[in-house]
Amino acid sequence: MVILENIGRAVIRLIKSFTDIIYFAWKILIRIFNCNTYTSAMRTVLTDQIYFTSVQILPIFLIVSIVFGSLLIGVLFLQLKQLGLTQYIGHVLMGFIVTEFSPFITVLLITLRSGSAINTEIAVMKVNKEMSALEAFRIDAINYLLVPRVINGVISIVLLSTLFSVTLLGSGLLFSNLIFGMNIDAYATVLLNSASFSDIVVALLKSVVFGFFIILIPIRFGLQASHELTSVPVVVARGMVNVFAAVLTIEVLSLIIKLL
Amino acid sequence: MENNPQQAAPVSVDVPLISNQSVLMNIALIKQYHENMPIAQVEPIVFNALRRLNLEDIAYKRNPDLNDEERFFAMLLRAVMVRDALVIIDRPFKIIPHLKNIDNIFQALKSIEDLYLNCHIYDYEWMREKYGELSK
Repeated sequence: MVILENIGRAVIRLIKSFTDIIYFAWKILIRIFNCNTYTSAMRTVLTDQIYFTSVQILPIFLIVSIVFGSLLIGVLFLQLKQLGLTQYIGHVLMGFIVTEFSPFITVLLITLRSGSAINTEIAVMKVNKEMSALEAFRIDAINYLLVPRVINGVISIVLLSTLFSVTLLGSGLLFSNLIFGMNIDAYATVLLNSASFSDIVVALLKSVVFGFFIILIPIRFGLQASHELTSVPVVVARGMVNVFAAVLTIEVLSLIIKLL
Repeated sequence: MENNPQQAAPVSVDVPLISNQSVLMNIALIKQYHENMPIAQVEPIVFNALRRLNLEDIAYKRNPDLNDEERFFAMLLRAVMVRDALVIIDRPFKIIPHLKNIDNIFQALKSIEDLYLNCHIYDYEWMREKYGELSK
């Protein structure tokens, strides 16, 4: 009986947490599509956030995408050659690298860097009573603090995963020349023949959903901090676990959508 | 409060500056948010206010880098940016504990008196002597 009770309690907690996040997402979505949200203050925060998330990360992001991407493409192409599957090179590049791998790696990098930073930032602001300060000056924290961060997540993931894909396709050009002796025209033809519009749309939509949730969830958990400093690590740990669960869920859902 | 032409603008230890923004952005925030004023338009207003208190050099500093006086005056300038501000200063000696009397604050309030409508200072009864003539 006790086991059943514990399972029931855990399920109820899970459902409550899920509905909380969906309700919070709905509240943020409404604000995103409301023109009054876009005040000068909000636009300043949005610009700062895009700079912190997309521009500051560029050097390390480019190094990771070139090194890791080249390594992956090199190994993948060698395997294709050994298995005699050279004709599938385009499908591998477009179907796996562009639509699956790039958004996933980008999301992991941004979650580790910006998701955790935003989670901590919001929790510390709550502890320092800075949220109450905004309230005292009749400044809506959702419009001023949260919406710009979420929009930044969407823009950053879409742009950075596109950059990651372009870098990997660049590596693909180099390795296809080295391993298969392909020239640039042949490589471009293979890519264009394998590109499917629906795949690209699904990849873009996935990046948008990823960007929305990997920032929204840390914010949601950051807001749960109390006025005690000790609550910061607790909400950050909880937020990061949930964000990784969300990344996996979105990945599985996108796979199901592709299969349908 | 909404029917009152004066808008409450608190200066209190419980209403801190936003620590991940500079003093300039903290002060500019009020006009950017409530009047949708572009930052290029707010910046000269903020610098003019800072200049009146000889605090231009703190414009790009953040809350943790400020001393007690600088923090208080940054909070005061943020408050006077509210349109038709009713500045409410809550226990000023809690924000600047080493201050001997209210003269410094009073002088600062005089030099920016055109920026707010009214100012109320609230403090404990036992702090009366620090207010000198004002408390009578």
